[in-house]
Amino acid sequence: MKKFIQYIAVLTLCFTSCKKIIEVDTNNAAAQIVIEGNITDQLIDQQIVISKTVGYDEKGIYPKVSGATVIVTDDKGSRYMFMEKTPGVYVQAMRGISGNTYSLNVSVEGKTYTASSKMPNRVKLDSIGVVTNSFFGNERKTAAAYLVDPENETNFYHFNLYVNNLFSRRVYVNNDRLTNGNKLRIQLYYESDDDDDDGLKSGDKISVEAESIDSNIFDYWYTLSQQSGRGPNQGTTPANPPSNISNNALGYFSAHTYQKLSTEVK
Amino acid sequence: MPLKPYLLIFFLSFFSLTLFAQNKFTLSGTIRDASSGETLIGATVKITGATSAGTLTNNYGYFALTQPEGTYTVTISYTGFASVIKTINLNKDTKLNEELKDANDLAEVTVSANNRKNENVKSAQMGLERIDMKSLNSIPVLLGEKDVLKTIQLLPGVKSGGEGNTGFYVRGGAADQNLIILDEAVVYNSSHLLGFFSTFNADAIKDVSLYKGGMPAQYGGRLSSVLDVKMDDGNNKEFKFQGGIGLIASRLKAEGPIVKDKGSFMVSFRRTYIDLFLRASPDSSINGSTLNFYDINAKANYKINDKNTIYISGYFGKDNIGVKDLFENNWGNVTTTIRLNHIFNDRLFSNTSLIYNNYNYTVRLLNDVTNFKATSLVRDFNFKEDFQYFSNKHTLRFGLNATHHRISPIDITTSQESQVNPLTQEKRYGLESAAYVSDEWAVTEKLNLLYGLRLAAFSLLGPGNFGSYDPDGNILSSDKVESGKFYKNYLNLEPRFSLSYLFNEENSVKASYNRNTQNIHILTNATSSSPTDQYVLSSNNIKPEIADQVAVGYFRNFAENSYEFSGEVYYKWMQNQIDYRDAAELLGNSNVESELLYGTGRAYGLELFFKKKFGKLNGWVGYTLSRTERKFAELNNGNYFPSRQDRTHDVSFVGIYNLNKRWTFSSSLIYSTGNAVTYPAGKYNVGGQTVYYYTQRNAGRMPYNMRLDLSATLEGRNKGKFQSSWNFGVYNALGRKNPYSVEFINDPTDPSKTVAEQTSLFGIIPSVTWNFKF
Repeated sequence: MKKFIQYIAVLTLCFTSCKKIIEVDTNNAAAQIVIEGNITDQLIDQQIVISKTVGYDEKGIYPKVSGATVIVTDDKGSRYMFMEKTPGVYVQAMRGISGNTYSLNVSVEGKTYTASSKMPNRVKLDSIGVVTNSFFGNERKTAAAYLVDPENETNFYHFNLYVNNLFSRRVYVNNDRLTNGNKLRIQLYYESDDDDDDGLKSGDKISVEAESIDSNIFDYWYTLSQQSGRGPNQGTTPANPPSNISNNALGYFSAHTYQKLSTEVK
Repeated sequence: MPLKPYLLIFFLSFFSLTLFAQNKFTLSGTIRDASSGETLIGATVKITGATSAGTLTNNYGYFALTQPEGTYTVTISYTGFASVIKTINLNKDTKLNEELKDANDLAEVTVSANNRKNENVKSAQMGLERIDMKSLNSIPVLLGEKDVLKTIQLLPGVKSGGEGNTGFYVRGGAADQNLIILDEAVVYNSSHLLGFFSTFNADAIKDVSLYKGGMPAQYGGRLSSVLDVKMDDGNNKEFKFQGGIGLIASRLKAEGPIVKDKGSFMVSFRRTYIDLFLRASPDSSINGSTLNFYDINAKANYKINDKNTIYISGYFGKDNIGVKDLFENNWGNVTTTIRLNHIFNDRLFSNTSLIYNNYNYTVRLLNDVTNFKATSLVRDFNFKEDFQYFSNKHTLRFGLNATHHRISPIDITTSQESQVNPLTQEKRYGLESAAYVSDEWAVTEKLNLLYGLRLAAFSLLGPGNFGSYDPDGNILSSDKVESGKFYKNYLNLEPRFSLSYLFNEENSVKASYNRNTQNIHILTNATSSSPTDQYVLSSNNIKPEIADQVAVGYFRNFAENSYEFSGEVYYKWMQNQIDYRDAAELLGNSNVESELLYGTGRAYGLELFFKKKFGKLNGWVGYTLSRTERKFAELNNGNYFPSRQDRTHDVSFVGIYNLNKRWTFSSSLIYSTGNAVTYPAGKYNVGGQTVYYYTQRNAGRMPYNMRLDLSATLEGRNKGKFQSSWNFGVYNALGRKNPYSVEFINDPTDPSKTVAEQTSLFGIIPSVTWNFKF
């Protein structure tokens, strides 16, 4: 909608609609613990990453937190001890199973953080492709994921898009509230670091990671997606996404299925 | 049913007042504009003799004064019109229907500064702003489209929603807490073109009153303000045409007698033509796009006899926006009002209204696989019965009101290939009814009271399935309710009270208290109002919103009424305010009420207003110092936080300079503190994204707003009936880049750093409009 309002502004003889960098008055908070934990259904080194926040105007180099005790258990009685592989990155080779609930227990700097997440059933990512849309007079190519949503359950999806191995800075998250049981084509608009987004070009290599996530993790990604690219005064009032981790830690702990497909833009 | 005893008390107290002394007679009549026959609202009628008294004409130009037998001088005056002075011998009930001549048509008459003298000081009413439709013409606005909603935002206590938004905020209330009525019908969406223009075509508007506080008891249903807009009745003497051609819109209005001096009609039409610019584009996708709005105002009245006048009025407006092969969106309001004025006797005036209004929108997505059409509707049937009783020192007003609401939240239809499923969200039905009584009482020469009581009932009706939710928003149970059954009832008693005490003719203090309640609420988690905002009724989960406001003010006129000063302070408490959970999905969600949070609010402020009413140079300065905050257990650690529209300072200067008969120059300058927004207090990285860390809600500030608008009007060398004028305007003459939004992005020169990027909408925008009248 924001794009659309700008478009109207241009049409209503606004020759000078513009953007500029401004100084804003805001205080930096003390560093907070950030935990990002993923358990997938692949037999790989599963990762729990612990880091800290920095001031919003500081360089984006996030301090890693070492020396934590990281344990994951499941509701079938298994217990996995995670080891610190590089500073702040805790790993354990294991494979998650759909239907199991995984619990995370992190002890660090005198505090304990817990979270749990139930790994949903895997919904098959049938294929990925490229869709051409006409958008305000421009032909734009975008990536798309194809899958069939199961009718008998509530599903939540999260996608990651890579173009020429560069990660797209946009949160792709869907649920089946309005699309339950249908053949879906989910379009993933590429967003690069620079603002000039011309879509995909012939020869671009694209890969899509598809995750079936649980409802708490959907809320987490959905809140982020509502905020990205909008900012204060328009759109929703920004807030920290609802984390499923206790003790006010930022981040999330997600048990999800994982699939990846790649293709080349023709 | 607890309603009955209250009603009984109302009517007993009323009828006890109707028994009064003998040998008093009533002077009553209707005051009109001599050139058009339009009734004049709020004209002053003053009678002096053995005793003296004064009153104002009501919304239909009617007045009545009861005085002991005797000879009196009657003075009738109205701003911009030459006063009429008559001597009458009041020895029986007397009719006095007068027509006032426009002061501008009488070159020899200088407009007396005594018109409506000191009314602002004397009246017990507080927090009322009346827009003078004549000065509206010279106030500069965006693209030369004169606009009542933009003009009221130049008054203290009224804050604009910002550029590109007609939503306005009164004394710290939310945009959906304004009752906006056009000829008694509720207008749910008052904006065109996503807020750049309002739905009120100034050509068709006769009178605009805004109540910021001290709402009289006949108004109810919204917390923070009442904007009462009345359409022109039409000229009942001769046929007249007027119109204008502007850069983006054209207007045409026709009016005339149906039967001379007995009935008249008025039709006004306005349409934009931005489309034409689109069509001129060589680009096939742009020239297939639509972007327009139009609206029609129509009204007719007929005086059946001396005791009965019937009015029929309607509004129809529509916005269309579409981008070829992508989407279409249209929305609009329809209102229809049928009214009958009946004069039972000289002292008892009644108005019966039947009102229909709806607001609807359609969104169509045209993408090959996600195509669907979503429609939504709010529809009201409304019956109002209003009585005014004019006694010696009392003007009583009492009546009944019943509104049936139907809300269709969303209806999604899809094609066979669409991956979206069809969905019909349950309709909601509600009945709002109210009984009210109020009395305007001139207790002594110095003390005036306006007090009343409104009993507001709300019932949520079946059919429907009504869910209950736990504090986390999980569904606990669902009640299935049959059609016509009352599922949930609320009853609220709303006292309204205001008084004025005059130290002398030019000096008064006023105080008021009022309670307002609200049973229809907008759900939107965006800052600006959008055509797809969703309406919900009070329910088992949503309690009626309640606001209590107290205000105290000092009113002072100087130099024979040519300068007005007022200062008011207010404090408002709000209960059952609505906000949303994070990750709330509002659209197409049958359990939307599970996404809501309930809290309280408070707002307080100081408003100063200084106005020069007459002379070559006139205008006003308004200043507001205010604060508005909300508190929700689930947000901001349960602490008060500023509302988005909280702005500490708001200043406006409006100056109008009449150089000579042909040239009028005007300017407005506004300054306001930036909106309260939430800025990050840190950042971190998850999922490969830079994510911002927030601590305090709305603790940051957008940059301030400042804008200077200029306008010049050149009257043509008018000979004979045909009159024309040119209006030239410059919006944002200083070219200041006012903030529309602020985003946090990676610094383009060093992507590892974050910077704030402000987007502005408008630079300097010139405009020219040619207006004509014949």
